Amino acid sequence: MSQVNKTSQKTIQQKTIELHEIVAWFDSDEFTLEKAMDTFKKAEALAADIEHDLLSLKNDIQVIKQKFDTETSE
Amino acid sequence: MSPKLSVSEYIALTNQTLEYAYPTVEIEGEVAGFKINQGKYVFFDIKDAGASVGCFMMVYALRVPIEDGMKVIISASPKLTQWGKFSLTVRAIRPSGEGSLKKSFEILKAKLDSEGLFALDRKRLLPQSPQHIAVISSTQAAGYADFIKILNDRWGGVAVDVAHVQVQGASAPDQIIRAIKYFNEREVLPEVLVIIRGGGSADDLSAFNDELLVREIAGSRIPTLVGVGHEVDESLSDLVADKSAATPSNAAQIIVPDKYETIRSVQSSVRTLLPRMERIVSEQQTEVRALLRAILQTIDRQVDEKLAENQQSRTILAQLDPRRVLERGYALLRGDVTVGNEIQIETKQAIIKAEVRDVTSK
Repeated sequence: MSQVNKTSQKTIQQKTIELHEIVAWFDSDEFTLEKAMDTFKKAEALAADIEHDLLSLKNDIQVIKQKFDTETSE
Repeated sequence: MSPKLSVSEYIALTNQTLEYAYPTVEIEGEVAGFKINQGKYVFFDIKDAGASVGCFMMVYALRVPIEDGMKVIISASPKLTQWGKFSLTVRAIRPSGEGSLKKSFEILKAKLDSEGLFALDRKRLLPQSPQHIAVISSTQAAGYADFIKILNDRWGGVAVDVAHVQVQGASAPDQIIRAIKYFNEREVLPEVLVIIRGGGSADDLSAFNDELLVREIAGSRIPTLVGVGHEVDESLSDLVADKSAATPSNAAQIIVPDKYETIRSVQSSVRTLLPRMERIVSEQQTEVRALLRAILQTIDRQVDEKLAENQQSRTILAQLDPRRVLERGYALLRGDVTVGNEIQIETKQAIIKAEVRDVTSK
């Protein structure tokens, strides 16, 4: 579907979920200072990617050819 | 000379003439003598202050509740029956005027409500951020333009399939019903079905109180959102839908999130990470400092203990020092204490050599 980003093949929703998981990692027991900076940079990149997708994606509006004024089917 | 006709021929000729002259007429009047026979045939008179005409219709064509005294508009064909009675064969009937519309609305509402069609537990949740939606509307309507504008302003990447239908008038309910069926029969179902039209008078919006349309919305496999622009009264389509919107613009606001709000939220969640990291670093620094303090305190304590032990040893040693004995006036004697031997005697002040002259046992 058109919400898929062509470079990463992930939807905005998938990226948003990934970002939430990263943010949650900072509060989890798995947090380590050694990994924190790289993870933070990853979150920043993901946020920028989501913003880019949201601002660039367009809706695909199609008026279907089917007529509904009579009983005829497709 | 006029042709000689049988009675049946005359009636058939009259009906042909009527059909040619008045294929369909719309008549407004008041209903009287309304009855349904055998559950299939509907009979009533339509009248005004000066005249009355008999009407006949099939019960399946009755899309809204009708009662005596209601003002209605009928679409009908005039006909002379085989018994020579003039009658109108009604194809469609709808209430006319505020009072009749309201009465019809209330009767149907009570009926559908008793069947549980408006029950809250029937309502399904709409998807939060759908990627594929179906829209049923008139593409020429201002309400449709509003919906698309707000949709495009708020979100992107949505596949929108639009079914163009009439949203007012006698044919509107059937067209909308066909569009609902069309989307529900797709191999890949849209995630949500949006039915919209702009505002209008109560009469304009009466299509959305059509019983068959309301039942079709209730039966949709696809979750439904009805956005019929009216602020005073709800339509039955609004009540039966999984979700209703006050206007088409509001429908767009319900169906997709606001991308600018989402961007702000995403940026904000990342911004909170730095202070969070700083807090964690600060907490760890505090912990390390506390540990260091504890280590230093332990070292201090152990040094103090060792010093105290040492001091105690020194005190004991000092007490055992022979010089302390000499200071108290005693003397140390060295050598073999045998008569005639020379021995050494040490006092505090001197070391004395002496000879043993006598030894007596004690």
